[in-house]
Amino acid sequence: MRFAVLPLVAFALPVAVGARAAPLDEAGTKALMKELDDRQRNSGDYKAMVFLERKEKDKNDLVYELVVYRRDADDKLMMLFLKPKAEAGRGYLRIDRNLFMYDPTTGKWDRRTERERIGGTDSRRQDYDESRLAEDYVAKYVGEEDLGRFKVHHVRLDAKSEADVAFPIMHVWVDQATGNMLKSQEHAQSGKLMRTSFYPKWERMFSPSKGADVYFPREIRIFDEVEKGNKSTIVIEQVALSTLPANIFTKAWLEARSR
Amino acid sequence: MGLFLTVAVRNLLQAKRRTALLVTALAGVTLLLVLLMALSAGLTETMIRSATAISSGHVNVAGFSKNKPADAWPVLHGIEAIRRKVADLVPEATSLVVRERAWAKLISDRHSLFVSPTGVDYASEARLKEALVLAKESDYKKGGRDVVVGDLSKLAEPHTAVLFAGQAKRLDVEVGDDLTITAPTGAGRTNTLDVRIVAIARDFGFLSNWVTFLPRQDVKDLYQYGDDTGAVVQVYLPDPAGSEEVMGRLREGLAAAGHELMDHEPAPFFMKFERVAGEDWTGQKLDVTVWSDEVSFLKWVVTALDAISVVLVGILMVIIALGITDSMWIAVRERTREVGTERAIGMTRRQVLALFLVEAMLLGLAGTTLGGLAGAGVAALLDHARIEVAWDALRMILMSDVLNLAVGPGQVAWSIGVFTLLTGVAALPPAVRAARMQPVTAMHHAG
Repeated sequence: MRFAVLPLVAFALPVAVGARAAPLDEAGTKALMKELDDRQRNSGDYKAMVFLERKEKDKNDLVYELVVYRRDADDKLMMLFLKPKAEAGRGYLRIDRNLFMYDPTTGKWDRRTERERIGGTDSRRQDYDESRLAEDYVAKYVGEEDLGRFKVHHVRLDAKSEADVAFPIMHVWVDQATGNMLKSQEHAQSGKLMRTSFYPKWERMFSPSKGADVYFPREIRIFDEVEKGNKSTIVIEQVALSTLPANIFTKAWLEARSR
Repeated sequence: MGLFLTVAVRNLLQAKRRTALLVTALAGVTLLLVLLMALSAGLTETMIRSATAISSGHVNVAGFSKNKPADAWPVLHGIEAIRRKVADLVPEATSLVVRERAWAKLISDRHSLFVSPTGVDYASEARLKEALVLAKESDYKKGGRDVVVGDLSKLAEPHTAVLFAGQAKRLDVEVGDDLTITAPTGAGRTNTLDVRIVAIARDFGFLSNWVTFLPRQDVKDLYQYGDDTGAVVQVYLPDPAGSEEVMGRLREGLAAAGHELMDHEPAPFFMKFERVAGEDWTGQKLDVTVWSDEVSFLKWVVTALDAISVVLVGILMVIIALGITDSMWIAVRERTREVGTERAIGMTRRQVLALFLVEAMLLGLAGTTLGGLAGAGVAALLDHARIEVAWDALRMILMSDVLNLAVGPGQVAWSIGVFTLLTGVAALPPAVRAARMQPVTAMHHAG
């Protein structure tokens, strides 16, 4: 099977699909968020190599290498750490909205919150999972803005009461020309700004199971807004949308790979 | 008996140098034992004091709530009714306080650390007010003045915090600085609270590493808890020794009142999260503990100190016992002819045995009394001097920034009694030998 990987530098190549003229009304805003989710959603399986860099004040920089597996149709997600050596074999597995973490040093599984900070970085489970903005949040159009030299839609998102999300308030800036999210800001319940993320590079890839292109960010830069100076960078590479083995999303499989 | 004592004293005085040496050695070991016991008792006292001021009552009624099996929230709903029930069941309690417990990240402009913010109602916290001593600015700030700044009573105001000196040092903050506290709400969403540091207290050892005080309502707001919620009802008793009995009474009474109870586990609440999150129930269960459960992770300090004391004093005592045995052998050899004469004029074997044992025990009594009293005096002086402990690691172990020693008459009497008895036991072989001598053989002994 052959996949067409078309690197997209978000701010260079406008894509007609995502383009929406500002300002947006309520229905248009809702549609924009749904489109943002749909573009990233793959109805089949997903596998990617992820490099996660953590920079924190008073601490040594850390770079993790992990493989992320997803089966979006069943809401399944698995992350397996490969590097550094001390973390190799550690993994996260989401089954039925429960996130479990496997520690190979103890051979134990711990149930974790869905809002877990992955590897102690500022990144969360949802940074690696399929996008569910329209499902989890109520969108409100803030306005048309300039983000650098890009014309963007600024949308405020308030979490629905039943949504299991780490940050109850989000602001997203979506490129009017490409429909890609360029920036997001997440706020605490108190309204305090917690983190700002930038999405400088997007890619698209044809998904046979979806029968359409799937978009994914190549890089996410996350800045901690409370502990200034802390930041995490996620680089996503070697994305594959081919079908994964049926039994892959199990504790036994992850344990076997850890060994 | 009077005659025995007279003879024993005379013999001890005759061998002045030997007696002085043994009395000094015995006094030294007893002094050491009393000091170590005072340190151990001081540690235990500090542990009770710090535990019951900072993180626990003498008895605690806490628990967990779970909306889903994977939850483990240390909060109780209907806290006012629980407090009233506890008050009914423990009428002798000197006070009851309700607190909030949390686990959150404390973030300053420069650093951050995880702490357990404890929500207190300042007006009802007489014990806390008494226990917390404000630190001098120089304790937590480089180049700080030797003066106390801050006001503990401002903890009654919203959006305030009281830290310990070690925490302030690590966060590089001082009184008046702002901090941000982040934690997930009851629904799991990130929330923050901005607070101002109103006072910085002197360290209390281990516990002051992670406990920070906030107004109760602030902790509830941070977690978005409802009005009638609280984490723990802390019960203070006139005598902490009754804690276990009160715990039993509370368990029975609360169960009879329809509350579900967790099995008693002698561990602090924060060590139970994982277990509770792994249990397959939802709703609310109460957890009744005593103060020692909440600091059970610190008991090793006292146990280790006691073990070191036993080994150290044991070795010294064996050496001294050998010395006593040896010197009594010399005494028996020197006084063989005297023993022969005493036996010839009618002294029984048992009386000879008693004579030597009384002599040894008199020696032991003199040495241990001297050492015991000196030890008690030194311990009292050291405690009174409130010597500051300079090393952080030692502060952690001692659970205090000053040296605390507690000595009572019971400890001194026990040391004197045990060591005097041991001296007698050490003198037993030579004394038995002397008692077994034939008068004729002894009288012909060449000396």
